[in-house]
Amino acid sequence: MMRFNDIKREAGFVFAHRQFKLTLLVVFLLSTAALWSGHAEMQAQQATIERLLEKDQVEREAVLSHQDSYGMVAYYAFHLTYAPPSPLAFAVVGERDVFPWKHRVRMLALEGQIYESDTDNPELAFLGRFDFAFVVSVLLPLFIILLLYDLKAKEREARRFDLLNVTARNSHAVWTSRTLVTLVPLALVTLVPFVAFAIVNGASVSSILLACIIVLGTISVWSAIVLAIGAAQRFAKYSATHLASLMLGVWLITTVIVPVTGHTVINAAVETPEGGKIVLTQREAVNGAWDKPVEETWEKFIETHPQWSDYTAYDPKRDGSFNWKWYFAFQQVGDESASELSNAYQQATIRKNQLAGYVSLLSPSLLTQRLLSNTASTNVQSMIDYENKVRAFHASLREFYYQQLFAAPEFSESSLKRLPQFTTSSQFTTTPMNTQENTNEK
Amino acid sequence: MMSNTIKTICAEQWRYWLRTKVATTVLILGSVLTLAALVVNAFHIEEAAHARENLQHEAEERFLSQPDKHPHRMVHYGHYVFRTPTPLSVIEPGVDTYTGNAIFLEGHRQNSAMFAEQRQSAGLTRFSSLTPSFLALVLAPLFIILIGYGSVSREREAGTLTLLLTQGASRWQLVLGKLVALMLASSIFLLPLLLACLYVAFSNESALVVTLFCLGYALYFLLWAVVVTACSTLFEKSSASFTVLIVIWMSACILLPRMGSSVATSVEPSIGKLEADFKVEEKLRNLGDGHDVNDPAFVKLKQELLDKYNVNSVDDLPVNFRGIVAQYSEQRQAVVINEFAESRMQEELAQARIARQFGWLSPTVALRSFSTLLAGTSIETHHRFLREAEILRMQFVQGLNKVHVEKLDYKLDMNRNSSEEAADKAVVEASNWAVLSEFSFQPEAPMARLSSAAMYCLQLLLWVGVAALLLKLAVRRLNP
Repeated sequence: MMRFNDIKREAGFVFAHRQFKLTLLVVFLLSTAALWSGHAEMQAQQATIERLLEKDQVEREAVLSHQDSYGMVAYYAFHLTYAPPSPLAFAVVGERDVFPWKHRVRMLALEGQIYESDTDNPELAFLGRFDFAFVVSVLLPLFIILLLYDLKAKEREARRFDLLNVTARNSHAVWTSRTLVTLVPLALVTLVPFVAFAIVNGASVSSILLACIIVLGTISVWSAIVLAIGAAQRFAKYSATHLASLMLGVWLITTVIVPVTGHTVINAAVETPEGGKIVLTQREAVNGAWDKPVEETWEKFIETHPQWSDYTAYDPKRDGSFNWKWYFAFQQVGDESASELSNAYQQATIRKNQLAGYVSLLSPSLLTQRLLSNTASTNVQSMIDYENKVRAFHASLREFYYQQLFAAPEFSESSLKRLPQFTTSSQFTTTPMNTQENTNEK
Repeated sequence: MMSNTIKTICAEQWRYWLRTKVATTVLILGSVLTLAALVVNAFHIEEAAHARENLQHEAEERFLSQPDKHPHRMVHYGHYVFRTPTPLSVIEPGVDTYTGNAIFLEGHRQNSAMFAEQRQSAGLTRFSSLTPSFLALVLAPLFIILIGYGSVSREREAGTLTLLLTQGASRWQLVLGKLVALMLASSIFLLPLLLACLYVAFSNESALVVTLFCLGYALYFLLWAVVVTACSTLFEKSSASFTVLIVIWMSACILLPRMGSSVATSVEPSIGKLEADFKVEEKLRNLGDGHDVNDPAFVKLKQELLDKYNVNSVDDLPVNFRGIVAQYSEQRQAVVINEFAESRMQEELAQARIARQFGWLSPTVALRSFSTLLAGTSIETHHRFLREAEILRMQFVQGLNKVHVEKLDYKLDMNRNSSEEAADKAVVEASNWAVLSEFSFQPEAPMARLSSAAMYCLQLLLWVGVAALLLKLAVRRLNP
């Protein structure tokens, strides 16, 4: 049994070490610095989104103001889409610096636009992000090793080892309480700044709790690894630093070797279409359409949009001097020609992510990183969800404009008020004019 | 040359390492990893190079094999360029997986690079990567520490230090013997790297660049061997030397590079491409739409042309007025686009330079900058790719516009939307598509890369100096 007095005595011993207090201070500073930099980054992203929204409005109004046909509007008007950072994104930048979180699309073929990316400075992304998740998943295990590897050796050197074992009511309890008084302050200096920043950022209580549990889990797992190695009979004859080398070996294998090996294996195992092929295919289809008979485009278009089969005839009086509906129809057909490749590309990304999930079961660091980025919605899946939201939004734009181009009502600026707006919720619906739905769009 | 005493001490140290499991395990693990990384990465780069070269040829062939059509349609048909990896990316892939490596070039727009490989890695390679440079920069120092942290302090703890010194070895001889032993051990990690460099040197990279590249890594390994030996000499106990070295490693190899990246982001915020696009559009809105000859912005241009050829209407001009408008507005637009593109690149460069200043705080950052710059896998080379792509874009777009001006009749052109037959007449011959020139990306000339890497070489040398001083101090304070 541990008693409060034991703990108090151990705390006295542990805190008497300057090295321990220094480590706590360093971890506290690192945690705070990482949180602050993530916080500043997310504030900046939020501000960017707000500025973009404003400019998007101004720009589109400027474009709309001097157009007089739906075709021209559809051709020239861009629409902003974005994925705002979640309240916890400040702690885990995650995939937000390699996947785009802002995008502008227009009515042209989407496959030619969706892979455009406005990501951050690649050299900085390459150097890596110093965020809270990094501190927890990579650095914290190292600090735990540094704090615990010579738990017993230190006392032996100070010639207190036997004294401690003899004077304590239960020799086991001494080491348990010593481990606790080492780890609890460590957890506190890591988590207290996190909770403070999380509250400032308005994260939900459940997500904060979840993140804290993940961090505590990481600390427990690594402490267990370190203590198990330290207590193993096999290594009883090893010096403290030899033990520490072993612990670092475990860190190295799980944090570095497992992920990179996993990456190499997954890359070899999952067939991924060459990205360049998607855009080349799409471009050939779109540009080839100009040289093909118009009927060929209509045939393919009507397959997926049977509701417009009676509206394909071009009448310059009604449709304006340029056959816009044919133009946008072959954009659609172009997308469809590349959709198989494009789907396969996305599926490969998802599959690789899934497999990476299994790999992470072998690597506590990777697991921590992934769990935290799941909590903060900065994981691969969230970024793919965003991409699909852009696709859905583009589909709703098409639905809106097809309505205008095919049913060909008189052009009126007021009807443009019903233009679909991108929202961060997943549903996009144009204000229905009639009940025709098109469900075949990807 | 090396005195016998030093040799004996060095040999003795090796005998000790070969006896202990930790040292041999680390040595084997390190060399196996480096070899694996080299092989895997070499295959990967080779494959990527082939794939991108093929796509490049395919894109060129497709462009050239387009049938007769309206020249402006070719402007929108566009072209793709792919960045092929540089020879040294076998060892230092740098930003290659973080930037896209394909750009779509078309009229009126400047697109960004697409398909960054990093997105396909599901976060597995965010902290570490199986690249020779990561192993050399981050893991090799750890291995050197694990092997060498106790080299001198162990002798002290065992009481053999006094023995050695009283038997006639000087303090310098003792420490140098340990250092040479550790350098030999670390060269086991360096050797595969040097062999790979030799291979690269025989492909198509400047020998000077490859030599300096190797030298940079050799200095870095030497530096760590010196630091480790110095710490082992300075501290009374092996455990203290171990702890201090691990802390140094954590800060230099893991923490500071990332700190640099985060500090750079907050000190020098960069507006993204989207935001720059908005500014471009705002500026362009007043410049006129190149598709519409009746746009008020072109009235002046029209008048000047009519005056020049002394005719009354655009129909009588000997050139195609639509083509002239397209040419003129493309040029004006490109000026604005590139003004913003250039300032964006300058921002990114400024950020990268701030992050690289952390090389004064960490030798790892110094070597990282040095090796990416020499290998042509830094942000500079990526920017070079963007600039060359832009030059090519303007070249073929304006080339097509020139064809539009000179080879397409204005009346046929204006009539093109009236019927399919009329559209079929408003075309030029496919032979005109030869305005597109071949694209084959090359990094900066060796001298240019060397001069931009010079500063980081200085950082590295400074670190070697600091380490040497540390060693001197350690030797002076060495007492049994």
